[in-house]
Amino acid sequence: MKTCRALTSRTTLRIAIPLCLAAGLCGSYAMANDISFSSDVRPILAEYCVQCHGPDEEQRRADLRLDIADERTTAAIVPGDPDASELMHRLTTSDPDMQMPPAEMQKRPTEQQIEILRRWIAEGAEFERHWSYQPIRRPEVPTPTGAASTDIDRFIVAALEKNGLTLAPRLDRRRLIRRATFDLIGLPPSHAEVEAFVNDAASDNEAFAQVIDRLLQSPRYGERWGRHWLDIARYADTHGGSAIGFKRFPFSYTYRDYVIGSFNEDLPYDEFVLQQLAADQLDLPANDPALAALGFLTVGMQFRSVHDLIDDQIDVITRGLMGVTVACARCHDHKFDQIPTTDYYALYATLASSESPDDLPVLGEPPLTEQLRNYQGQLEKRQTIYRDMARDQMEVMRSRLRSQVGLYLTDLARGVPEQDLSAAFLSYRTDDVRPVVLHRWRIYLSTLSEQDPVFFAWVRLQDTPADQFRDACEQLVQTLKAENGDPEKFKDMHKMSVEAPKWNPRVLSALEDARPASLIELAEVYGRLFADVHLAWLTALHEASLEATPAVDILTDEDPRHAEINSAINQQLRRHLYETGTPTDVPDEVAARLLNRTVKDNLSGKRGTIHNLHLNSPGSPPRGMVLKESEAPPETRVFLRGNPLSRGEPVEARFLTAVAPYGTKPFADGKRRRGLAEAIIDPENPLTRRVIVNWVWRHHFGLGLVRTPDDLGTRGTPPTHPKLLDHLAMAFADDGWSIKKLHRRIMLSDVYQQASVENTKARQRDAENRLLWRMPRKRLEMESMRDALLAVSGELDTTSMGGRPFDLETVPVVPRRSVYAFINRDIISSLLSTFDGADPTSCTVKRPDTTVPQQTLYVLNSAFIQDRAATVARLAIDAAAADADRVEWLYQRIYLRQPEQEELDLAVAFVTRPQPSGDTADRNATNDDSTGATAGTGDEAGTDRWAQLAHAMLASNEFIFLD
Amino acid sequence: MDTDTSFAFPRRQFLKRCGLGVGALALTDMLAGQSATAGPATHFPARARHVIHIFLNGGMSQVDTFDPKPELTRRAGQMLPFDNLQTERKTGVALPSPFAFQQHGECGMPISDLFPRVAECADDLAVIRSMYAELPSHEMMLMLMNTGHSRLVRPSFGSWLTWGMGTENQNLPGFVALCPGGLPVAGAGNWRSAFLPGSYQGTLVDTAHSDPTKLIRHIRNKRLSESDQLAQLEILQALNARHLARRPHEADLEARIQSFDLAYRMQMEATDAFDTNQEPEHILKLYGEGTQNRQLLLARRLVERGVRYVQVWHGAGQPWDSHSNIKDTHRHVANQCDQGIAGLIKDLKQRGLLSKTLILCSGEFGRTPSVEMGQNGSGASQGRDHNHWGFSLWMAGGGIKGGTIYGATDEFGFKAVENPVSVHDLHATMLHLLGFDHERLTYRYAGRDYRLTDLSGQVVSDVIA
Repeated sequence: MKTCRALTSRTTLRIAIPLCLAAGLCGSYAMANDISFSSDVRPILAEYCVQCHGPDEEQRRADLRLDIADERTTAAIVPGDPDASELMHRLTTSDPDMQMPPAEMQKRPTEQQIEILRRWIAEGAEFERHWSYQPIRRPEVPTPTGAASTDIDRFIVAALEKNGLTLAPRLDRRRLIRRATFDLIGLPPSHAEVEAFVNDAASDNEAFAQVIDRLLQSPRYGERWGRHWLDIARYADTHGGSAIGFKRFPFSYTYRDYVIGSFNEDLPYDEFVLQQLAADQLDLPANDPALAALGFLTVGMQFRSVHDLIDDQIDVITRGLMGVTVACARCHDHKFDQIPTTDYYALYATLASSESPDDLPVLGEPPLTEQLRNYQGQLEKRQTIYRDMARDQMEVMRSRLRSQVGLYLTDLARGVPEQDLSAAFLSYRTDDVRPVVLHRWRIYLSTLSEQDPVFFAWVRLQDTPADQFRDACEQLVQTLKAENGDPEKFKDMHKMSVEAPKWNPRVLSALEDARPASLIELAEVYGRLFADVHLAWLTALHEASLEATPAVDILTDEDPRHAEINSAINQQLRRHLYETGTPTDVPDEVAARLLNRTVKDNLSGKRGTIHNLHLNSPGSPPRGMVLKESEAPPETRVFLRGNPLSRGEPVEARFLTAVAPYGTKPFADGKRRRGLAEAIIDPENPLTRRVIVNWVWRHHFGLGLVRTPDDLGTRGTPPTHPKLLDHLAMAFADDGWSIKKLHRRIMLSDVYQQASVENTKARQRDAENRLLWRMPRKRLEMESMRDALLAVSGELDTTSMGGRPFDLETVPVVPRRSVYAFINRDIISSLLSTFDGADPTSCTVKRPDTTVPQQTLYVLNSAFIQDRAATVARLAIDAAAADADRVEWLYQRIYLRQPEQEELDLAVAFVTRPQPSGDTADRNATNDDSTGATAGTGDEAGTDRWAQLAHAMLASNEFIFLD
Repeated sequence: MDTDTSFAFPRRQFLKRCGLGVGALALTDMLAGQSATAGPATHFPARARHVIHIFLNGGMSQVDTFDPKPELTRRAGQMLPFDNLQTERKTGVALPSPFAFQQHGECGMPISDLFPRVAECADDLAVIRSMYAELPSHEMMLMLMNTGHSRLVRPSFGSWLTWGMGTENQNLPGFVALCPGGLPVAGAGNWRSAFLPGSYQGTLVDTAHSDPTKLIRHIRNKRLSESDQLAQLEILQALNARHLARRPHEADLEARIQSFDLAYRMQMEATDAFDTNQEPEHILKLYGEGTQNRQLLLARRLVERGVRYVQVWHGAGQPWDSHSNIKDTHRHVANQCDQGIAGLIKDLKQRGLLSKTLILCSGEFGRTPSVEMGQNGSGASQGRDHNHWGFSLWMAGGGIKGGTIYGATDEFGFKAVENPVSVHDLHATMLHLLGFDHERLTYRYAGRDYRLTDLSGQVVSDVIA
């Protein structure tokens, strides 16, 4: 349901007011009549005022803040006196020049909202720190008068009582076990399980506790809750956004399996978070299966730009793990929450220092089978082919870059502006300027001083006006020549003992000859000189190599013919071409992106063969999609307005200041991600535990205690039961961050076990069911629906867990659980998109909940559901001979109950109805993508009728909804 | 229902947008005590109520179609005086257009002989000659053109529109992407709904098929006769009714019950909508033969039935990407769709639909006026590279001032220099015609109010009638 705030903004008041009153009554249940700053006032200020009067300094108007109280706030708000408060005046005036919010904002608070502000000011106008940033405290458990079995119930019932409401009656055992089984393992219970529970002589609580424990022990549990987690982790098996076709991750499944395994083992949640952010920094063995956890950071959409990639990681960490929206601070301070851009870039620095290594670690110890040996042999072969070509082509390119110094210096001399290098997409030819190399030259030259023996002229003359250039250059040359002294001193170039003079004589004489009249001409002089140096060096190497063959006389090391090699003057020049870190000494991983297009295409073809081997070879062992962090990462600066070329103040890798004042210490280099993870799971972190208990709650109740699970900030909605949320967060810590214990706590409560029945009185008072006067009804999600259909037909294959994904739409159907299906970011399976599956392009904290005709078309007409129906119908036919017995069998199998007499009659009438004359089913129509399950012998029409009946039952609401 | 979105629309629109059928609406209206008549939730009266986007994917060359540059002929073979107008590949000397231009219509709009039939509609077209995009990369500019952002994942125009306006026909998807033979570059990203609910993403229809039952998945039950399916539906709804009777006033149960009736009707209606064989001879003749022309006719049938946004892709991959031999390659693709596009304009007009249907015909960028240099450095390719610095597109119908030429490129047709129009400006203009203020059509997600035009966009009022 929509929040009342959203509804009232433009809808008719007729609907809005009753809803709003209801919400107002239950919003702050603790003291029903007081105004609470957090639940009542802050949302109004956040919606209408804080955009211009908030934390964003750049946007702030009139130097006034209305998100917190500072010394200027009294200018607008006089505590206790609404009429003297400028705020009230501005809100209520009809003078368009004075009115707030200004007309261009195009939204106004309602009268009720203005009234709330008035009462708040009258009551003293106290600001509170936003609820979610306050420490989690152990709240006192209320003592309601009505029955309440658990602490959870005491919070719920107390709030209900304040509003004159009660819990719904307890759900009967038959339906309760169905609810619990779908909740925990995403599958229906078997008929036997239902009967055992229904007939269990133990008390309700004891019997149900046993059911819960059994379900939590089932490996199917991890498959269900792991899938919930994969929504957050924006899990997919392809890169996303590729130009043509799509590119698969060969090892994404190892992350999926890690998640499923972690839930099954009940890995403590803090450990789970720690591993997902920093498994490589926990001193685990090099093949530890937990390394797969890093997929949390690496299975996201593969954006072209590294900035976008990191943005996505920041988003999944902050929104997914802590319910804060930090991504807006990429370009400006957060408009509503205390998140400055420096916080964003502190996280950026934390993540930017890591990269995916080329070689991913093998997980565990795969047995040395024939397949594995075969794979290893192939891999070795293909890698060698790739490396051979890569090594040589990169060397060729580097060699060319050394002949192209002039090309780059000329561009710099022309003042070609800096480009963002992250989105390289151009296809190069040999003579194209590579922006990455240009950037390297730009940085390199800026580090050289006027004393550089080679580039002195560049450094000294780069800002000289054109009309003075030639004179200045000539004068410089003469002065420096004089400083060098007598050239006789350094004429014996072949002697290794001869040192180069202070200023490189070859540079000086080149300048003297060329007399450059501009920086561009100077660039050309350097360019020609370096091209000569490079070619002469290659020639010298060639000749020196010829000397090595025994056919010729051995030359001594200081032979004059070795002048080129031995000359300290030439060495001075060569340093700028060959020394590690110089602009043309491009590292392999960078060079790979700069190759000519044809070369690059061929090389990626060879890489593709390695990729395909990882992907398809039956022997390809599982590998973790890990990250490696640099021990000495480069400095990070704020990108002003998000622009990587416009750098602001430097930032350190550290945690969010406002969220956790305890965590402002910079993270240690080489272990930044671990520092981040530790700050997130720090017991003092006010968000992490609230977010995770809310997440578990939401998957049990359909709605969270916080209805905006990815935004616990000021624009989110406050919790319906703030103290219960904190109670659960404390209990969660007491339980050692055990998710399974949390399930148990929640499910053993009365509120979980209540029925989902309608209550008109309660609905009038609390239309959104914020107080949980009944259990919200839930519809099966896509995965549960598909898996349940396979379970009912007896086809579900749970013999193996994990491994490479299968294709959801392939025929014949692969009857594995849906969590193991291939997820393609580029071509979303129609089953997933039709049935509200998680969007794998970004962190999905909450799936949409739609009812569209495409869903119904699938349920009515797809081969998948009809095949399942046919299979289950055949089981019924085999199990019983009489029509009534078959109907009974189907009811037990599908609805887990006995049919009533009317239902029995209805079903029997359906299967025995007369066939209308002349009506022939076009069952044999071609191109049916079915497995042909309808084929039968003898009494074929009868078999089909049973399949049609089963189909109707599987399509019905009773099967698709949970009470 | 959703909680963290706060679009300020009336409740009915909200439900509609959730994809609930009219039956469910009646129910919720009953609950709300309201009658079921309300207009669309536009900000001001809409000039256009439907969009057909003819996507010449790969990139149509402006100097060979709608932006004649005689200067190229005068300078044939000479280098053009440009500095730093970088495109994807190296280009060389001026390549004159191999196509002849003539003035058309009362407005005297110059159009090349690539589009002789479209030229007959010159007085209906508003050509923008001064479009520009960001980069010479197909996939990123497809994203920009369709979603307003070249790199990040954002909802497409069609998703925004169907979300904002709802649909007029619950029996058909509100946003349909027609593409014969496969996927364009960047695939389903072109019609994704991103953070808008999944029901607003485009439904892809592979128009290589002509059998209507193959165009939409699961549109027909291939095993049951009509009478069997009716009997089955009857027992299904009887089961549902019994289930509901014990759970009264449950809107979500009721909505799903209604959706079965809707789906059943949709089986009929969609099959009908996609069946171009039902068209009379003279209409088939008007559009011409071939896949392109047939899918343009299909676009009309869909719009006629209330589909909000139809995107008509020329084909899989990038058919208009004429890196070499533009003379033949552009001729080939233009021949495939010229008659259908003209037929669409004329047909919509004669049915009175043109005035409320906005047609956009564009690629993701244009092409260079200079010849693309091959691997050996020669210009023997006779093709043109990608060009995002300046390109042409046209619009027609729904509120567009026909016979307009807006903006200009430089004397060679390389770069937009007069009244340059960004893709955000284009989107703002289209939304304006559809009744939306692009700054107010926002959706709150992850703590921020997002809009199609991000932080920019100005309505180009000169192309509006």
